[in-house]
Amino acid sequence: MTEHIAARLSCTIGVDVGGTFTDLVLHDAGRATTRTAKLLTTPGDPSHAVIEGVRRLLATAGVGIEQVTTLVHGTTLITNTLLERTGAKVGLIATEGFRDVLEMGREIRYDTDDLYARPAPVIVPRHLRIGVPGRITADAAELVPLDEAAVLEAARELVDGHGVEALAIAFLHSYANPSHERIARELVRSRHPGLPISLSADVAPEIGEYERTSTACVNAYVQPVVGAYLDRLEADLARLGFTGTIALMLSSGGLTTLARAKALPVGLLESGPAAGAIAAAHLAGLAGEDRVIAFDMGGTTAKMSLVEHGLPHVTHEFEAGRLDRFKPGSGLPLKTAVIDMIEIGAGGGSIASADGFGLLKVGPRSAGSVPGPVAYGRGGTRPTVTDADLLTGHLDPDHFLGGELTPTLPRVRGAFEELAGRLGVDAARTADGTLEIVTENMAAATRMHLSEKGRDPRAYALMAFGGAGPVHAYALAKSLKVRRVIVPMGAGVLSAFGFLVADPAVEDVRGYATPVAAADWTKVGELYEEMEEHAAALLSRMEPGTARIVRTRSADMRYLGQGHEITVPLPDGPLSGSRAGELRRRFTERYTAVFGRELPEGTPEVTNWRLTATLPTARPSLVHASPGQRAGAAPLRGRRSVRIPGFGVCEAAVYDRDALAPGATVAGPAVFEEHETSCAVGPDCTAVVDAHHNLIIDIDYPHPRSEGATG
Amino acid sequence: MPDRTLQGEPAAHERPLDAVHLEVRWSRLAAVVDEAATTLLRAAFSTIIRESNDYTVVLMDPAGRTVAESRAGIPAFAALIGTLTRHLLEIFPAGTWHEGDVVITNDPWIATGHLPDIAMVSPVFHHGALVGFAGSAAHVPDIGGNPTLGVTDLMAEGLFIPPVHLYRDGTRNESVAALLRANVRLPVQVWGDLEAQAAAHEVCRRRAAELLEDIGEPDFGELSRLVHTMSDRSTRAAIAAVPDGVYRSSLDADGVEGRPTHIECTLTVDGEHIAIDYTGSSPQVGYAVNSTLNYTTAYSVHPLKLLLDPGTRTNHGSYRAITVSAPEGSILNPVFPAPVLARHLTGHLLSCAVHQALADVLPDRVLADSGGAPALRVQFAGRDEAGDPFAAILFASAGMGACARQDGLSTTAFPTNSGSGSIEALEATAPLLFRRKEFRTDSGGAGTRRGGLGQDIEVANPGKAPIRVALLGDRSQHPALGIAGGLPGAPAHAAYDDGRTPPLTSLSTLEPGTAITISFAGGGGYGPPSGRDPAAVAADLRAGLITPAAARRDYGTGAVPAADGTNDGKPNP
Repeated sequence: MTEHIAARLSCTIGVDVGGTFTDLVLHDAGRATTRTAKLLTTPGDPSHAVIEGVRRLLATAGVGIEQVTTLVHGTTLITNTLLERTGAKVGLIATEGFRDVLEMGREIRYDTDDLYARPAPVIVPRHLRIGVPGRITADAAELVPLDEAAVLEAARELVDGHGVEALAIAFLHSYANPSHERIARELVRSRHPGLPISLSADVAPEIGEYERTSTACVNAYVQPVVGAYLDRLEADLARLGFTGTIALMLSSGGLTTLARAKALPVGLLESGPAAGAIAAAHLAGLAGEDRVIAFDMGGTTAKMSLVEHGLPHVTHEFEAGRLDRFKPGSGLPLKTAVIDMIEIGAGGGSIASADGFGLLKVGPRSAGSVPGPVAYGRGGTRPTVTDADLLTGHLDPDHFLGGELTPTLPRVRGAFEELAGRLGVDAARTADGTLEIVTENMAAATRMHLSEKGRDPRAYALMAFGGAGPVHAYALAKSLKVRRVIVPMGAGVLSAFGFLVADPAVEDVRGYATPVAAADWTKVGELYEEMEEHAAALLSRMEPGTARIVRTRSADMRYLGQGHEITVPLPDGPLSGSRAGELRRRFTERYTAVFGRELPEGTPEVTNWRLTATLPTARPSLVHASPGQRAGAAPLRGRRSVRIPGFGVCEAAVYDRDALAPGATVAGPAVFEEHETSCAVGPDCTAVVDAHHNLIIDIDYPHPRSEGATG
Repeated sequence: MPDRTLQGEPAAHERPLDAVHLEVRWSRLAAVVDEAATTLLRAAFSTIIRESNDYTVVLMDPAGRTVAESRAGIPAFAALIGTLTRHLLEIFPAGTWHEGDVVITNDPWIATGHLPDIAMVSPVFHHGALVGFAGSAAHVPDIGGNPTLGVTDLMAEGLFIPPVHLYRDGTRNESVAALLRANVRLPVQVWGDLEAQAAAHEVCRRRAAELLEDIGEPDFGELSRLVHTMSDRSTRAAIAAVPDGVYRSSLDADGVEGRPTHIECTLTVDGEHIAIDYTGSSPQVGYAVNSTLNYTTAYSVHPLKLLLDPGTRTNHGSYRAITVSAPEGSILNPVFPAPVLARHLTGHLLSCAVHQALADVLPDRVLADSGGAPALRVQFAGRDEAGDPFAAILFASAGMGACARQDGLSTTAFPTNSGSGSIEALEATAPLLFRRKEFRTDSGGAGTRRGGLGQDIEVANPGKAPIRVALLGDRSQHPALGIAGGLPGAPAHAAYDDGRTPPLTSLSTLEPGTAITISFAGGGGYGPPSGRDPAAVAADLRAGLITPAAARRDYGTGAVPAADGTNDGKPNP
């Protein structure tokens, strides 16, 4: 116990390697301070920027490397490897007769409007896919024994003949009986030691041969790249004198060990976005909000996820390496736990244009950071959302990008005038309309996301972060009829804080499909025993001898015959036939919430049994040592004109966010400016700074059921 | 014709709604039906809705004209719900609709062409006034009757539901419900699917009313007029870009035993209008392959739209500039009560007919015939080990036709978007053992661009009871044809391991311990094989998509390296 307290009083570093920037955050528990650093990512060897960033942070904080007990890491390396197709040469050993399953996929066209759309190229080409005899049936029985000689011959051909660098093994029904895959792995390992091998039953033990095989192949594809990178990082950190633990952020928002990350790199795909959601969940807890829509808007995209009772929603399907980032089906499907998040092409850099009908469209194309919005003066000529923010007063030209850049306003106005000509309206309307449409795009996506879960946005608070999130939060909240907006302190760099507050976690699943009434509860108990033992073993590696594991069990359920499951939390305590009624009741409740009706004659069925095991850690209090914090500075900066949706142009008071003390209350219209972002609210708002420096904005709506609502 | 075509569409600045307002409203309309469609898909029971995407959802104005159509599902069906609703308004005039009403019908002549498709229409009220309709159609898993090709009239194909109220004032019509449930084999599933449709309507209704509330409009009248005008204009502009002329194609298909199907297509481009006429096509037959004029229209207009004006939002206005006709009594416009259950076997051919007709005038856009037009479906039915009845449909795809810019996609659904399910899931629910599901070597039609490959699926009966196998397809005598000099793909085929080869529209038996192999057709090639890049031939050889023998035959002896063509990475001599 003393050891634990000591650990808590030392330093933790979070590192997020993004496509453009590497963000670092250091939390010094002893001094209760938090510092951040930002460097350009070094794509050739991302560990360069990591090491350099750690050095800098330690120097500015005056902390020695030996005081750092944990380094939590997230990276886009895997996402980029898939997008750029720079992974390993992978071979696949499949069940004889089924080697093409990986390439056939779901046999549908993801864009039915485009006669010429092609699917994402297959990750293991046909000549590197070999079928071997051996067959497990749906009831887990062995029908045909595995042909061991054929396995060895296939491996020989792939490794010696074709030079594959990693191997995936995916046999039919291995989710029910993984023995053939395991035998095959041992056989290949004995002949080809050192060859990374991914088993479909390890990576995604769920029914569905295509998705399971795809997940195994993607895991194999990224494994050598990730392994080499993590080895290098470990060695570099050791050279720096680091003796603590390296933990990796999972796509589901939990933390995992270095060894498990190397074995299952596919689980790390979405670590960056997950960190943002975890940070939002943590702050939602501090702010006492049970139901929050986390809204993260950056330069290119907006991401929305749900946080309920302090936990972000997790889903078990994901698609990586999309040909078209915003078209579902254009990528590689994966069965892996990720924070359930929608991402749409709506960011500060999203381009406004006229479509064939002469209507205004915004995004999904983005000017990115190069050339960027017209205002950047870096050659961008097409008006963007950020440009519209400037013209409408949402961003201050004199404090643009923290005052580091003076925007070329005449050029911005010119770009909108040019577009306005094609739309038959004036430039001011075009700029205003750009914001209206980007808001509508985000609102539509959010409504759809909530509707799929049977949720109503009006019951949620909106937590806005990312550089552009707070800027557009008020308009989005109004469109969704959300009553409360929360803008956390340091909203522009919030994601990195997620690394400091995440808990070690293990997500596991077993595919066993059965009607609830006919479930073999002994078998279910065994499945959970197996998963819990495995999880405990993994978690104890992160904190030896721990007894604090929190287990959450859930089941994917549907009515027999349906193709779509909903996830239902399982009752606590031992599962047995006597709990079946309780499970059925919980399912009916969830089903009715989502679909507005139940089916009394339907037969509830479970398809997958899931376990989430976490190791709750003490959460550091994140008092953000913002570089711009000025104690005692006057909060009121002045006034300026801002176009507020629904109210037209308002004269708004402009506040320096950093100078507002907890308890400060401000009535709208008002603008809150901070280093990385800005937030304007309408006259129907009251904003309060809470004890954690969050800005809590309450919107007053006219009474909904009053007469004359049509007026 | 309720609408006049617009002479002089108002210029942008004269529109009552500007370029921002209209975009916001139009995109919200689209979101309403997309959300409703998602609800239908997620709540549906039947694998048919789920895996073959056999459904549509629309929002209409009070006159029954679609203002928003779901993009998912079968987009070709959306317009039919509009014509159906206009027909219903003749039976049930606007003043007779109440909040909470739901009318259903499966009349193939006024809905989507066969009895298993149940169409549903319900009113949308806002502040007490009828402001529009929600509509949908979905394929339920059973509708009674004898679902084989052997029947000779509609009544034998199942329960016929004329337009009736399933709900009136929000209360279920228990007599209709009881009659329906008593006449189908899978009442729980059928009812579950109807409930899913109703859930989708509820979402559509609620969201539509919310939209009106938000934009402060009393109804969809103005918005409807504007989007119809713009979509109509979009279609017309696309048609005007095609040179005027009369373009023809004709094609043949297996049809049913002894009655091959002949399609004669005359496509007339005249300014901003296209007329498609099928005079000269086969007369209607006494088997279930007749396609009602509704279905004929849907499967003619939609391929045209995809060729000429893809990607724009569709609604009632999108189709005004296109007319479709076929002689009464023909296989493309049969007279009641002709059997129509397998109408896709004829209707899916029309996309080939439209592309072939436009091959000379739009050579860079058209596709060669696809092996999956029409789709081949296989149903397995019998009793499992416990003696309980089971039925399972095998969804699998043939090869797509090639086009000027690329090879056809292998094993990809077209013109439908019915994907394939999981073999593991099928084996978990039915006593079947799959031995193989692989690309079918040499099945893609040779050409400058190769047709997509079909697949071979081998299924064994591992149990002790016989399994009934219902094959429903075409293309055994008539492969998918190439275009612009491309060769045809391989025809479809089925064979038991004892050598029997059942016709592709037949019932046969899979005895215990035996297996059947079903070979799905390949797509047609595009352009002469001599024009194919040798590197593409080499890549096909290396992947085993074509054999050296076929490469020599189709692409010449020079196409195959002296070795066997399967060497890896080493330079060819």
